[in-house]
Order: sequence, then C-alpha cells, then structure tokens
Amino acid sequence: MFFVGPMRQHLDGHKSLSEHVQVKTVDTPSTVYIPLFTGGKDAIPCVNVGDHVYVGTKLGQKEVPFIVPVFSSVSGTVKAIEKHPHVGLKPVDHVVIENDGKYEEKAPLAPLSMDASDEALLERMKEAGIIGCGGAGFPAYVKYSAKGITDLIINAVECEPYLTADYNMLETTMDDFVAGVSLMYRLSHAQVAHVCIKESHPEMIEKLTKAFANVNGVEVHPVPDVYPMGWERVLIREVKHVEYNKLPAEVGCIVSNATTAIAFANAVLRGMPITQKMITVSGDAIDTPCNVIARVGTPFKDVIDTAGHIIGDEVMMCAGGPMMGRTQVSDQVCVVPETNGITLLKPRHDVEVACLRCGRCSDHCPSGLQPVRINTARKANDIDTLMKLEPMRCIECGLCTYVCPSKIAVTEGIRAAKRIVMLRGKK
Amino acid sequence: MKYVFNASPNYRDNVSTSRIMRDLTIGLLVVFIFGLVNQYMTYGMDNLIHSLILMIAALVTTLVTEGVWALVCKKPIGATLSHSYGWVTAIIFVLMLQSTATVYSVIVCSFLAILFGKLLFGGFGHNIFNPAAVARALVFASFASATAADVVSKATPVSTFANAGWVASSADSFNQFLTSFGGLFNFALGLYPGAIGETSFIVIALVGAVLAWRKVIDWRISLTYIVTLFVIATGLGIINGQPLTYGLYHVLTGGAIFGAVFMLTDPVTSPTSAAGRIFFAMGAAVLTLVIRVGASLPEGVLYSILLMNMVTPLIEKLFDGNQIDMKSKLVKYNAILAVCALVVMVVMSFMVTPAENVSYPTVVNLGASATNGDAIHVSAAGFSGEASPNAFDVVLDDETQTVVSVTFTTFNDTPGIGDQCNTPEFLDQFAGLGYDQIDDVEVISGATFTSNSVIDAVKQAIEGGNQ
Repeated sequence: MFFVGPMRQHLDGHKSLSEHVQVKTVDTPSTVYIPLFTGGKDAIPCVNVGDHVYVGTKLGQKEVPFIVPVFSSVSGTVKAIEKHPHVGLKPVDHVVIENDGKYEEKAPLAPLSMDASDEALLERMKEAGIIGCGGAGFPAYVKYSAKGITDLIINAVECEPYLTADYNMLETTMDDFVAGVSLMYRLSHAQVAHVCIKESHPEMIEKLTKAFANVNGVEVHPVPDVYPMGWERVLIREVKHVEYNKLPAEVGCIVSNATTAIAFANAVLRGMPITQKMITVSGDAIDTPCNVIARVGTPFKDVIDTAGHIIGDEVMMCAGGPMMGRTQVSDQVCVVPETNGITLLKPRHDVEVACLRCGRCSDHCPSGLQPVRINTARKANDIDTLMKLEPMRCIECGLCTYVCPSKIAVTEGIRAAKRIVMLRGKK
Repeated sequence: MKYVFNASPNYRDNVSTSRIMRDLTIGLLVVFIFGLVNQYMTYGMDNLIHSLILMIAALVTTLVTEGVWALVCKKPIGATLSHSYGWVTAIIFVLMLQSTATVYSVIVCSFLAILFGKLLFGGFGHNIFNPAAVARALVFASFASATAADVVSKATPVSTFANAGWVASSADSFNQFLTSFGGLFNFALGLYPGAIGETSFIVIALVGAVLAWRKVIDWRISLTYIVTLFVIATGLGIINGQPLTYGLYHVLTGGAIFGAVFMLTDPVTSPTSAAGRIFFAMGAAVLTLVIRVGASLPEGVLYSILLMNMVTPLIEKLFDGNQIDMKSKLVKYNAILAVCALVVMVVMSFMVTPAENVSYPTVVNLGASATNGDAIHVSAAGFSGEASPNAFDVVLDDETQTVVSVTFTTFNDTPGIGDQCNTPEFLDQFAGLGYDQIDDVEVISGATFTSNSVIDAVKQAIEGGNQ
C-alpha cells in the first residue's frame, strides 16, 4: 500500500527446529503449583488445605469481570495456598498440591453429545473455563454470546517465531480439532468458518482440507507467513478486508484459536477442562529443541530439563514466543493453561544509537500507530499530541522494536506512553 | 544459570543503522566512480584529480569537525564518529559540486554545514536540514564564482538552460539545445559537463533501485518526486509549446534523480509516516519546478529540498494519528496537494517568458567536429561564475589551429566593467594566435574576470578542435 505501510513483516520463524521432532512427555514432579489467577485477576479458592483432589477437580473461580474456573491437573492432597512466582512476573496465590502419582480422573462435567443445544454448549464453554489463548485470557463464551455473526475465523496461524505447539496439536488431535471447529461453527451461527493456516505449511493445508472435506461451511484459508498474522485484527483484515473499532463482533466476526477449539471439543465430549498442554521448548540457547506435553502447574525447570540442556550461563527465558513472551527471572514459574511455549534465547547485546527517523516502526505497526511519533511526544511531554496518537491501541506485539535498525526499545517506550495516558484517564 | 530480564520483544531484525549507512556509502561511491569517469571524459585528467582532492578535503574536514566536537563534549571519539555517519554528508556534498570548486570553499562549507547544520542541533537524528544540502547551498551562496585555477571549466547544460529561463523559445531551439549535448540519451547516460555525481540518471536510478530493494531508502519518496516533477514539467512544456521531451529533460538533469534518491530520502529530515513522505516528495517536486522556471536558477532541486526540510515538522503534525482511521484523510490531503501542483503548473506556465536568442554551446569534444571557418560555440565562466557564463563564437583556421576571430554571443558580466573586453581592440588581439600564445594576451585591468573568460573560451575552442 502506498499511503500506509505494510503493517506486518515476515520473520525468520526457526520452526524447523522443533516442528517434526518427537514429542516428549514431562514427568510431573511430586508437587505442582496451580495459579489462582487468570486473565489478570485473582480467582477465589473453593478447596481447603488437606482436601483430596482429582484430575479435573475445580480449585477456584475468577468472578470479575467474567467467570473463569481453575482446575486441578493431578490427583493428590492440597498442601497449601501460598504465593509463588507466576509467568505474569508478579507472585500470586497458587494451590500447592502433593501429587500422589495416580492421576485419577474425575471429570467435573458430564459429557455432552455433538448435537447438544446452543445453551448447553455456551454453558459448557463457561464452566470448563475455555479462554482465548492469545494471552489476554478473554473467556470464549463472551465472544460466542454475540449476535449477527457472519464469519468464524479459526486461528491456526501460530505467527510467533520458534513455536510449533499448535501445529503439533493439530497433528496429534485432528479429530478433536474437527469436532471443536464444527461445534464452534454451529454455536456461532456464522455463514462460513475460515480455518487460517500459514501458506508455508502446504502439507498441513492438505491434511486440514481432507479433514474438513465433509464439513459444510468450513473452508481452509491459507494466509501469508507474516507477523502478527495471528492477531485477530490482522486476520480479519486478511480474510475479510475490513477494519473494526474495538471488537471483531462489530464486523460480524469471531476469532478463536485452534487450541481453543481442541480444548472445547475435549470439554464437550469428555467433560474435561485443560489439564495438560503441548509446549514448544525452543530457541538458540537449548541443545535439543522439541515439543513436550506437560501438566498445568509443572515448574518450567522440569519442562526445560525434559526437553534438553540450556547452552551458556546466561539465558533469556520467554514464557511463550520471543516476540510477546515475557522473560522470566525464575525457573520455578509454572505452566498455566495459556502456556504454549518456552523460548530460550542467548542474551542480546545490541548497541542503541540515535533514532534516524526511518519510519519503519510506523510502516509496520499492525494497529496503524506511529511509534516514533508516540515516543517523540512522550519525551517532549506533549500530552495533547500523545493523546491524538492513541497509544492505548498498541497491543505490544513488539514489531516496532523488531524492525528498529537503531536497536531502540520502541515497544517499551510505547508502554511508558500508555501508562501516562492511563494515569491521565484516572485524574 | 542466570535468567536475564529483558522487556519483550526479545527478537530483533538483523538490519542495523550501521548496515543501512554502509549500503548507502557503497551506493554513493558507485555514483562517485561514474562521476570521475565523466570528469575525465568530459573535462580531462586535471578535473578527475581535483574531484578526488575535493572528496578527500570534505571527508577530512567532516571527520575532524565531528572528532573535535566529540572531544569538546567529552564523548568517546571512535563511537561518536562511527554513529554520526558524517562521511555520508561529505560524499553527498562533493557529488553535488562542480569539479571546478575550490578546495578552501569545500573545507569552509563542510565545516559550517556539519557544525551549524548538524552538530548544534544535537547531532545525527536531530538536524532539521539535510547537512549536505546546507553545505551545497553555502557554496552556491558564497563561493559561486570561485573556481579552481588548474582545472578546465565549461558551461554546463543545466546552467546554460537555466539562464535561458528553463524554457526554450521554440521546440526547434529546445531540440537544438538537446542535440548540442548529445541528445536526451546522453543526458540519461550522464556524459556531459555537470556536477561530479549528478549527471547520470541511469547510474543513480540503478543504485537507487538496489538501495530501495535493500530497504535503505524509501522508494515511495523517490518515485513520487520523479513522477510529479515529470508530470508538471511536461504539462508546463505543452502549454509553452515545448516538445514532449521537455518533461524528461527536467527529470534527467539538474540533479533531480540525485535529489530523489539520496537527498529527499534522508530519513532524518523527511517525515516518518508513509503518507507524509508522499506529501513531502510531491511538495518538493512542485517547488523544484517553481524555483527552476520562476527564478531561472539551476539549483531548483537543492532549494526545494531545504524548503521542504523546513516544513517536515508541520507535515508530521498533519498526519499524526491512527493511520487506519485516518486513511481517507491521508489520501485526501495528498489529493489536495496534487491538485495544487496542477494549479501551480498552469500559473507558472503563463508566467514564464522564454529568453530569445540564446545560443547554446556546441560541446565539441562530444563528437561534433569543427571545420574551417565555422564558428565554434563555447562558453566560459566570467564574473558570475558557472551560474551565468559568457558565450562566444570562435572561428579557427583549421590547418594552423590559430584564431581567426572571437565574438561575444552572450554577455553576462557587469555592464560598464566587463564591456571593456567586448571591443574590437581587445578581441582583435587574438587573431592569428595559437594555443601557446593565448596566455600572452594582456588582460584589461579592472575587467580581469571577463578577460579570463575570453581566454578560457578560446582555449576551449582550440582544445576541442584538437581532439
């Protein structure tokens, strides 16, 4: 485009490091830590110290602003409810469970059939704690309550570099995926469901096309291998060529992650919530990158040790991919239902130089913002200009920092600008 | 094991500002090498060597200025120099110069441009004006008539045509002018008298294409500028009865492509938003035409860039906001400017008055051979320097290579002073002289510049005939 930049960028994905490597299973340690924290808010516990729990027992529930429950991933005894490091970088309350090693399952919900009513499906989404896997932890049932939906977009893009967990989930649980998408499609009342996957995966496109051959209304939609293709705004722009203000429902769209569809199928057909996750352990600082299956509540240390060995004495450990994943300073943080990867990278030693105003950040911002202008206004304390530049629409995808040739931490500057705008809003 | 904290993202592109500047430097050097070839072929070895000396002078001055500045500011010299990219400024500056520029003017202007154009604003990334353009403008304003002694000076097509008001009196006159410099193709190729690095459209455009592909420069700026200039110049030409090649001439000469590829794309002094850049480039194209045709200046590109640099902050403000929500606005503002460009074009068309009876020099060493008794058209810088040279008809005896007659065809020097040369008493002295004897002609005291201009012209005529 001539008057606006491309608003996206191809990244070197390093996907082959872990894509076709044998998946390993993590031996769950004798103690697991399940965070009573989801979607940025604390959950209220509903078990007491000394209680016996099973795989699938409800441990607590977040009440505001939307209801999201938390479940046990092992069977055993609740030892404590205490503060423990969390991937959100702030220690939060965790339910500490002594694992008895038996993994006795007790599904918290009764299985439903494929032709369950809309109300039953929506209720199941809520009770099983099905949340969007984009990181914001937005509960899926809120999206599916919207009316007038024309398009359901299933996001199997996985645009973060290094991560191949979604891809491997599709490989191993294709039946659940097809069932989940079919259920979501019916629930959304959309005319078409688009299953979006990068065009750089021709073999997976073929598999998906075959799998959905008998499902009416579902089409496989290959999308370009660019970042952040997996963000709903970019996906809708690609598939529907429209823009919206705040929520995709404004333009009749729902975007759900592929792993969300799989989790939903599991919740409907077996009555089970998410207790295990496929996690990519990759990066340039691990000797044998691969995917592992780990139970929720397993410390990162056990996950990494199962995958391989860290190279070097210093490492950046990102919970998730390298673009949006936060670096963790403790390997005691635990797997949460949203965890899809641990990226281990060698520390960077970039030398920051003066901004040359090349405008790459503005050209690439998927939100159509002008990061260079936001940072200039912030440094000049020009609040009026800052408000006009709408920094709150930044989703912190990190592309501005990625493309910056002067190695400036552009995204970090936008975060500071957002804090200024937020403080101003509170006055 | 130490887990290092870093604010996300933790992944970076390999492209660095240093790599961008390295690519740009290589591109500029390619243009410089072609410029040296042109200097050698068009003027001679002396000019090639002098061009090299100018380049070295500019580079050394720039680096010394920045080094001393770093010392004064108590910054590490090595790191400051390598992240200030002063050499790019120096190279661009020299490429915009005629090879007749004096070394001291280059040193003085490099120093002033780096100090006042860049360092005082806060150094790289903070300057408002393109420092190379500042340096070139200083030379143009202060040292226009200073020419180095030991190099050949020739009227450039750009200054000749600028003197004629950038519009020829008729289509025939325009075509004759083009032919005298080897035709349009030679203008594209770049083997004609002109600034060291500005003559070749083809070489600069190729370098620009590679740089755009390497994402060193923003192709949208270059393309918008060239296309806009071509369109409005063609329109102006049509209204004034010029041939269709007139628009091409505007694009091919006067550093238009050099400005489009190396100057307007300077990120520091241009807007950051895509729409802002298009606005910026279009504005520069309009100003270029206005300055060229309206003010009869050869340096329309240079001044248009400096003027647009000045309004860059305003353009930034105009396009501030969410680019997705503003999209219709982005297109609208640029459309308004495009309409303004057309209006300016029409207004300018009715303001220009083509100069009558301008004779264009025959550039003999481009293949035209002089025959006995035919007047050789030559021009040479007088009191006003390269910008407005005097033009002469020199008739030679073909066998002996001696002068038969010298006459002024265009007199551009000071009336009442330089006129003393335009007399039979002075001009007749040349009759019968050969090349070696020309220097013996007595100059008129008080009209030294004009006298030397005649001497230069006669020498050129004989040199041309000898080749």
